[in-house]
Amino acid sequence: MSADLLVVSGLAAGYDRADVLHGVSLAVGPGEFVCVIGANTAGKSTLLRTISRLVPRSSGAIAFDGHDLMRLPAHRVPALGIAHVPEGRHVFFDMSVEDNLLTGAFSRRQDPEIPARMEEIFALFPRLRERRAQRAGSMSGGEQQMVAVGRALMLKPRLLMLDEPSHGLAPMVVEELHAALVKIHAGGTAILLVEQNTQLALSVATRGIVLESGRVALEGSAAALREDPRVREAYLGL
Amino acid sequence: MTRPTKLAAAALALLAALCLPLGLDHQGYAIRVATLVFLFGAMAQSWNVVGGLANQMSLGHAAFFGIGAYTSTLLLIHAGLSPWLGMLAGGVLGGLAAALISLPTMRLSGHYFALATLAFGEVMRVVANSWAGLTGGPVGLSVPFAPDSLALFNFKSTVPHYYIALAALCLVTAIFVWIRNSALGYRLRAVRENVDAAEVVGVDTARTKLVAAVISGVLMAMTGTLYAQLNFFFDPDTVFGAAPISIRVALIAIVGGVGTAIGPIVGALVIIPLEEAANLFLSSQVAGLSGFAYGLILIAVILVQPHGLAAIGRRFQRKSKGAS
Repeated sequence: MSADLLVVSGLAAGYDRADVLHGVSLAVGPGEFVCVIGANTAGKSTLLRTISRLVPRSSGAIAFDGHDLMRLPAHRVPALGIAHVPEGRHVFFDMSVEDNLLTGAFSRRQDPEIPARMEEIFALFPRLRERRAQRAGSMSGGEQQMVAVGRALMLKPRLLMLDEPSHGLAPMVVEELHAALVKIHAGGTAILLVEQNTQLALSVATRGIVLESGRVALEGSAAALREDPRVREAYLGL
Repeated sequence: MTRPTKLAAAALALLAALCLPLGLDHQGYAIRVATLVFLFGAMAQSWNVVGGLANQMSLGHAAFFGIGAYTSTLLLIHAGLSPWLGMLAGGVLGGLAAALISLPTMRLSGHYFALATLAFGEVMRVVANSWAGLTGGPVGLSVPFAPDSLALFNFKSTVPHYYIALAALCLVTAIFVWIRNSALGYRLRAVRENVDAAEVVGVDTARTKLVAAVISGVLMAMTGTLYAQLNFFFDPDTVFGAAPISIRVALIAIVGGVGTAIGPIVGALVIIPLEEAANLFLSSQVAGLSGFAYGLILIAVILVQPHGLAAIGRRFQRKSKGAS
């Protein structure tokens, strides 16, 4: 695939000289919905954080739409069209919902389409419209996750990366969130989803990557992975 | 309070402050205390840019204050330069020093940042004490007397100092409010809450912290000149001191309300007179009693009002809003 949006090749990265990723290679095409599954400590979050340049890499390369991401500091990455919803939500507690969303458009703050973009996000998450003036820190976990996803979408990203968005949320909220992800994908945005809930991840994504101890163990269509005996045993508990 | 009532209250307070010297002895003790209230309010407000908006607890702001005091005074003594211009030079040097200390410490947070900045302030004090050829060393510096002159920032009466300190407080507070409501203010809030989340929405967190530190350092250094001209004399231990300057300005902002515009003003209005009263009434009794009483009152305030005295007003507002 030559027209891939994101190409990660031979990536090794980690914290304080102890690598967590040991030579990961993967690609995400334009508009593709890829999920990364695997146990805790497999390196899923580190993978996203390395792409966002929050974690230094020790070797390997990351290219996005032909740009070498390794040349950029973290705060320049969003301007290329990569939005990252970090693990644990991390909304700005002290700001209103609306201000949180506006920070998401920080990298394209001259864009006259920002109000229209906010309307699209309110259409996707109507509850955010109702609570636009509320302090984000006073909202429920599910609502905060919507703020975090909405904030990432304000960038109008070409690639949306989500780190464990369903973690700690009630099942109904998780469903709502995944329905929103399907809509976002249908709108043409590529998604790289890290998820511990394997069942759920494979039901919404079109392709899956299994990470084990910092290496890609398996890769394939979501449908094929759902039927794979190893995945069924190790991650689906079937 | 709504915006118009806030502005009206501020205008009223300003009017009262403008009229106050009419009722006071121009050389007296009361006007000197009032001047110190405004001066320390301005210093705490400068600190508030870093300590409040970026939430980085600096305990080294005496470094910039001392740089300001020494720069303008040395330029006055050796080059005859007006302290007004010396204040600008001090501001530039204070900003440079802030940038210099900000670069290696910006990755630190919490206690580590506080300790690193405390050490920086202490290093500056030691340097000023030992580099006697430049600073006069522990003997200190006297600002040369001159006839009353606005151009040379020299006044026999305390009244002009009172108005200058009041203007400084208003100006620094206006700058604080402007930063807080500007794009930089929002970047600082994002950085304060979560550095990673700020980076992934595109905020250059390092640059944001640096800009805040430099603004804070410039303002703090400029207040150093005001202090030198008011006091006519200072030494390294007073202007570079951790307890008399660094910790005191942090304390004023914290007791008043960190990160709020009114906090440093309220804090200075409470702390400076409290210190003076403790010294005046208790220091003749038992040795150390004044410091003891002062410390007890501060502990009580922080226990009862951990968000600062400015939060009392907010609580009343919320109650009245809930009742209506």
